[in-house]
Amino acid sequence: MSATLLTPESPEVAEPEEAKPDRLRPILATVWRWTSALGVALIIFSILLLTKGANPFQALGDMFKLTFTSSRSVQEIFIQMAPLVLGALAVAVPARAGLTNVGGEGQIIIGAVAACGAFLFLGDSAPGGLIIVAMFAASMIAGALWAGIAALMRLWAGVNEAISTLLLNFVALDILLFLIYQPWRESRTGQPTTRELVDTAKLPVISGTQVHIGIIIAVVVTVIVWAVMRYTRWGFKIAVAGGNAEAARRSGLNVSMLVLSALMIGGALAGLAGMIHFAGVEYKLRPGFGYQLGYTSFLACWLARHQPFPILVAAFVFASLSVAGDSLQLDSSLPAATINVLTALILMAVLGWTAKRKVSV
Amino acid sequence: MEQHVGPRRPLLAVLGLTKHFAAVKANTEVSLEVWPGEVHALVGENGAGKSTLLKMIYGVYHPDAGQMIVEGTEAVIDSPAEARRLGIGMVFQDLRLVPALTVAENIALAIPTGVTLKLRALSQQIREASDKHGLSVDPNAKVGHLSIGERQRVEILKVLMTGAKLVILDEPTSVLAPQEVEALFSVVEHLRSQDFGILIVTHKLDEVRTIANTATVLRGGRTILENVKPSDYTNDELIEAMVGKSVSDLTRRASTVVTTDRAMALTMTGINAKGDQGNLALKGISLTIAPGELVGIAGVAGSGQRELCEVALGLRPPVTGEVTIVGKKIGNPRDALSAGAASIPEDPVADSIVGRLTVLHHMVLNGRRLPAGKVGIDWQTVKSTTDTNNDRLGLHIAATSRNVSELSGGNIQRVILTRELSLDAELVVAAYPSRGLDIANVRRTQEILLECRDKGAGVLMVSEDLDELMSIADRILVMHDGHISGEIINADFDRQRIGQLMIGGAA
Repeated sequence: MSATLLTPESPEVAEPEEAKPDRLRPILATVWRWTSALGVALIIFSILLLTKGANPFQALGDMFKLTFTSSRSVQEIFIQMAPLVLGALAVAVPARAGLTNVGGEGQIIIGAVAACGAFLFLGDSAPGGLIIVAMFAASMIAGALWAGIAALMRLWAGVNEAISTLLLNFVALDILLFLIYQPWRESRTGQPTTRELVDTAKLPVISGTQVHIGIIIAVVVTVIVWAVMRYTRWGFKIAVAGGNAEAARRSGLNVSMLVLSALMIGGALAGLAGMIHFAGVEYKLRPGFGYQLGYTSFLACWLARHQPFPILVAAFVFASLSVAGDSLQLDSSLPAATINVLTALILMAVLGWTAKRKVSV
Repeated sequence: MEQHVGPRRPLLAVLGLTKHFAAVKANTEVSLEVWPGEVHALVGENGAGKSTLLKMIYGVYHPDAGQMIVEGTEAVIDSPAEARRLGIGMVFQDLRLVPALTVAENIALAIPTGVTLKLRALSQQIREASDKHGLSVDPNAKVGHLSIGERQRVEILKVLMTGAKLVILDEPTSVLAPQEVEALFSVVEHLRSQDFGILIVTHKLDEVRTIANTATVLRGGRTILENVKPSDYTNDELIEAMVGKSVSDLTRRASTVVTTDRAMALTMTGINAKGDQGNLALKGISLTIAPGELVGIAGVAGSGQRELCEVALGLRPPVTGEVTIVGKKIGNPRDALSAGAASIPEDPVADSIVGRLTVLHHMVLNGRRLPAGKVGIDWQTVKSTTDTNNDRLGLHIAATSRNVSELSGGNIQRVILTRELSLDAELVVAAYPSRGLDIANVRRTQEILLECRDKGAGVLMVSEDLDELMSIADRILVMHDGHISGEIINADFDRQRIGQLMIGGAA
């Protein structure tokens, strides 16, 4: 008997699904992957809550209730969401060109610094409309130039932009600190902050709410970015350069210019995020300005797999988690950092589990 | 134990295997047998279903229906690991070795030896196995320093050392120079004499005749001829089995374009250029190609053909020397494209293909102006131009909405050929234009290249197939070690002499 060549017994194993011409199936599979990933994250989080002596059902239930049923916190979600959307788009556009922009943090700071500079330069007496327009322009130009430094380092010296954008974040922070401790400091004795924006230079709120118009800007910009990526020549060219730079070069595209422009547009979007956070929420520069906005945006962009419209959803999720964290802290004995654990669990579950598996040969 | 006394039986019998992907019937009731001591050729055009069949045998795909019987026992091969356990080994077309490691280290990756590598013992085993199978593999050589033919032998050795009795070679000769093909075939012959079974995929009929005892012909996912002796069939019969209709021979014809008053399609003067490793890959190359002339470049792989094409297209700046296309000086790829160059790259998958884009998207990546629509690119026009060109050239590219990452090598080649050869080019630089194509499309591609030439383009064509070059080139330049070692005008084509020049001998 040829027992040396044992084979599995049952030929009735389920057939692979790939042969089915079913359109619903991939959608269902995606939904299933996301649901199971989120479910596992919640289960691990619940175990953590149990070890802390909290009832997970109660804690999660309260968190959900407090976050989504109070008008105040729903408004807060939209306020926090706006810069995250723009910051995530600032990652998505360069990603399309095959670039990793980890410099959102610094570009956001530089955008806000430029906006503040425009305000201080024009002074309180200038018309409010002019100040706001100047602030928008300054923030986007500054963000673009800041990201442009990393692009030029890549083109001239071959420095990987993931490293240079990351390192430039620390430089940006130092510039911010220098300005608010020295030339732009409002009072020699008080806190190291700049003068507060005049009311006319603050972003208006949507009537009947506390929500500033940043969220509208963010949604409009998302649509624009989507359309530019999808319909314009430039959008097509950066997709080619990002997909295969050698193919782009061989078909006569100017890959250097595409790299430069994609990263600079990313910087401009991050600068805009800084401006919105500055003129919509903070009104003055302070040492912790925009802390971690850039990194959170980076994660939101990955969660959305660099696609514009999913970025809106991912930013909403992150903003909700942040608001939920505040309520968790207020309403139970748990430390605020607990919510970071949940955020991290969700990220790892979603990124790790929903990735398409490659067939290895 | 019974195996030794029992009756001989096939190493592998495939019975009625069927695999359909949605609407694509990749394999329908395919059957074949491979016996010990037999070389079995699996023959068929691109898209005939050879890859799907191999993937089912190697456990990558699971058949919808049918049986596989390994040495008399029905087997469910659900993974490559299971295939290897059953004694089925696969040598892929794209060799999967790590160039920075030695032969022994590469083989250690495939053979579990416990926690430590035990390289010395393994090296000894490699030497023994290599001698036994006539492979002459040096275990301590770094893979990056080996030729493609030598790497292929390392892969074969690796497969043998993991216990394979049936060795599958997926289009092994497509990457080899003529001399290396002979070396490979003597290895295959040796393995057959030792009772291994060999399943070899090819579309070259002379190879089937040279090496195979039996052949199975696939067409449209079905077995047209099953386990037949090639010697029982004429070439025309085999081609008809593969293609479904007989392919007419290419009729040689001389160029008729009058060129005296026109600028040369390509001139290269005193070109020295470096290769990727910083070595001098082109040494003092000077050549001209007239409009309406097809110049073939012959040579053993790696003699500088790739660098020559890249310098001609402005992709690789030469250290010294000058390139012009129709009289315009070339400094970068855009110069070459705007002067009217078209090119078929040596490695389209690496150099021309953007994985997440569709066939249609690829049709505009030819260096010409993107057709402008109201917003962005006018894809409607691109689509209709593509359809027109596809009908005219007749290479039958895949649907324009398909994502190129789903396409096989031959299909990708046809997309690139259709795009580039439908341009009204002044210069066509075609590196291995018929790579990955089946007989009918090879012939069609050669005709299209001649049509380009007859419309006044200069054509530089690199090929490792001397017969192909001799059948269509007006002139052949032979490259050896970065030099042009000889030039032969078409009346004097002579295999012997070209072969001598290819290996650096005096003409």
